[in-house]
Amino acid sequence: MTRYVVGRVLQAVVVLWAAYTLTFAILYLLPSDPMELQLAAAGLQLDSLTPEQLAAGKAQFGLDQSIAAQYWHHLWAALHGDFGISLTQQTPVTDLIGQRIGKTLLLSVSAATVALLAGSALAYLATFARWNPLRTFLTRLPALGASFPQFFIALFLIQFFSFQLGWLPATGSEGPSSLVMPVLTISVLNSSILAQVLIKSFDETLSQPYITTARAKGLSRSAVHLRHAFRNAVLPAMTILGVIVGLTVTSSIVVETVFTREGVGKLAQEAVLSQDVPVVLAVVTIAAALFVTVNLIVDLLYPLLDPRISHTRTRIDPEVVTAV
Amino acid sequence: MSVSRFLRPIAVAVTASLALAACGGGEETSAASGTPKAGGTVKVSFWPDNPNFSCIDPFQVYWIEHRSIIRNFADSLTDQDPETGKIVPWLASKWEISPDGLTYTFTLRDGVTFSNGKKVDAQAVADNVTGWIETVKATNGAAFGASYIQGLTGATVVDPLTVKLTLSKPNSSFLQATSTTNLAITDPAEFALPAAERCTGKGVIGSGLFVLDHYTPKTETVLTKRAGYSWGSELSENKGEARLDKVIFNYVAEDSVRTGNLTSGAIDVAWPRNPFSPQDETLIEKSGKKIEERSLPGVSYTLFANTTAGRPLADKQVRLALSKALDRATYAKTIYGDGYPVVKGAYNSTTPYFKSQESKLGYDPDGAAELLDAAGWTLGADGIRVKDGKQLTVDYPLTSFVGNAELLQAQAKKVGINLTLRQLTPAQQATYLNEGSYDLTSTYFTRADPGALQFILNPDVANSKALARQSSTPDAVVKVQDLFAKALQTTDQKQTTTAYEDLQDFLIDEGITIPLNERVQKVGLSEKVHGFAFTSESFLKLNDVWKD
Repeated sequence: MTRYVVGRVLQAVVVLWAAYTLTFAILYLLPSDPMELQLAAAGLQLDSLTPEQLAAGKAQFGLDQSIAAQYWHHLWAALHGDFGISLTQQTPVTDLIGQRIGKTLLLSVSAATVALLAGSALAYLATFARWNPLRTFLTRLPALGASFPQFFIALFLIQFFSFQLGWLPATGSEGPSSLVMPVLTISVLNSSILAQVLIKSFDETLSQPYITTARAKGLSRSAVHLRHAFRNAVLPAMTILGVIVGLTVTSSIVVETVFTREGVGKLAQEAVLSQDVPVVLAVVTIAAALFVTVNLIVDLLYPLLDPRISHTRTRIDPEVVTAV
Repeated sequence: MSVSRFLRPIAVAVTASLALAACGGGEETSAASGTPKAGGTVKVSFWPDNPNFSCIDPFQVYWIEHRSIIRNFADSLTDQDPETGKIVPWLASKWEISPDGLTYTFTLRDGVTFSNGKKVDAQAVADNVTGWIETVKATNGAAFGASYIQGLTGATVVDPLTVKLTLSKPNSSFLQATSTTNLAITDPAEFALPAAERCTGKGVIGSGLFVLDHYTPKTETVLTKRAGYSWGSELSENKGEARLDKVIFNYVAEDSVRTGNLTSGAIDVAWPRNPFSPQDETLIEKSGKKIEERSLPGVSYTLFANTTAGRPLADKQVRLALSKALDRATYAKTIYGDGYPVVKGAYNSTTPYFKSQESKLGYDPDGAAELLDAAGWTLGADGIRVKDGKQLTVDYPLTSFVGNAELLQAQAKKVGINLTLRQLTPAQQATYLNEGSYDLTSTYFTRADPGALQFILNPDVANSKALARQSSTPDAVVKVQDLFAKALQTTDQKQTTTAYEDLQDFLIDEGITIPLNERVQKVGLSEKVHGFAFTSESFLKLNDVWKD
């Protein structure tokens, strides 16, 4: 068990480092000149500087050093929680993110929770329903939900709930009412993905022999469904949960932009477009850290749900474990 | 020299041009539509904040939305009447200009203070002057305010309420400059801070009827009412404290969302950069809201060519052909709806000294074809012109300021010019001019004075020296600078008028500026907002605004 945990943690650290390094490399391979972006941010143009001023500027931003030296410098600083100064806003990156991360986390966590509940409920109903047309409809619903582009859903919701009915604010991040439509937008995609996986996994589990045994013992349909099938069916969904948390991060880029919410997603979008290297690096690092952490938690939860995963020495038949 | 004598010619020129603009729409909503109420918060939505240069420091800001904000928290020495162009007293109760045009003596109004309690006295004004000059030096002339203070060498305190500003050479647009937001007077302590730090709003303290509460780049800017304000200029009905308690400005990227927020009552003012689409306008009017509009004075929305040798537009005849290929009337009508004014020159019609070039800007595809034939560009099989085996391809990179380029592309194609459109990211937008990797670009500049164009075309004070150098051949740069010098470095109004008119002719004749459309500031207003007014630069003026 310890070996398993240590292995997973090490893997997480490596993934995080790789994400940082890869982003750094991509950003520094881009053709534009970071010095010029810095100057533009200060209202200056490159050609308005004398060569001496230019050299001094480069030295000030550390741009006169080699790429490797800059990389180590940034990595070392990042390890100490210092992500430098934003090129376009002249503000410490940690401040920019600090002001926004709360709003994005609230959005992500709410959206993931709603997606989890809605996705599970839909999967449960779809597999529990006996009337065939309803069952077919519920089974195909997730495919529809997963096909709509998020910006479309967002604009549709805005048009209807903000402009027509005037119930919810179309922009901003003040109060719980501003959270409703962004959470809905993200949840439609994520709950659909989750429901798709869960439905398939339910169907597979329900055709297992131990379910037949349970039914033969005279257990009620709901008891079989909830107590016996659910626990096994939920394993693949756990894996998807890690992906869903990652998806809420990418979704927040779209959703925060459309709803004009000042979160990390919108910051990331703006920073990428204006090649604000320190901000992009920090956002990618934080997103990767979140992703890695959630996946680590999922990995560590597996053995609790399914002892087969860490017990490599004693093999136990799945039917025996789950049908007890 | 008396003020009125000095200004009369300007006033005449401006009145003529503004009479035209006044037909366009309600310049001023009278505050008399009910008894003004005190209190309340007004929410204003702009388009996105400047992606490359977040700034709220008056001297450095060129972003027009922020100049609207600054107008309401920082006062200037003088104010400018939007209807007549006349310069009127504000922080300065009177002024005198020496006959040689080199000395401006301002007498300040007594009892004015910055919002931190410090006095707005002669010393404060003199320190502002020093601060401006220092800022220009520190940025090698790239700071935006540079084009406003050409020739200014310093200021001396005569007595606590009298300050003398000295110029090394006459600058006929300097008095107008003192009325702008860029030469707003702020607590000079701010100049001890580095320019970039001031941009965040740190140390930026004015004497306006609102106080800058905070500026969060790309998110919001909030103004709160200044208690005890009592020195509004004669251009406001209400010269005292603001009626509103608070004004919140935010930035909404989607035009449809901004308009929807207005029609659903979530915001009070929708202030887009580009005019509303005809559809949005209908939507706003149907919901019972109002639209106010005024042409922005300054450089019209203009195409500038890259005239670097070897580029297709280095040839004047090709530039002129491109200009003749543009059907400006159809463009204005298609994009902005019926009744939208068609551009008539290098400047918008509300600019002082404006001279219409209408006769030279007509749609003339045949004339364009003739010019191109004569220049050796013959029609190829696919409808694109060819010379020495090379197609007539014009690279037009798209910045966030460009819209509706497809229509332009279609019009160019009719005469055999292949206009290629290339979307730039904000990062590329910050660098493409220096790289010179374009054939055509577009920009504009807002200022109620023809000097506005210097910020684009005069390499000495231009924000992008690359753009200034590439837009005209070296000979033409010299000629443009010479005409500006003639117009500015004189106290003779006749000379100024002649030089500015010659300049406008020259720019169009040489195809240096290829105007595309008149720029109209349209504003969507909630029916609850009263007393709305534009400044002379078509910025927001909050003195008389109140809310139900």
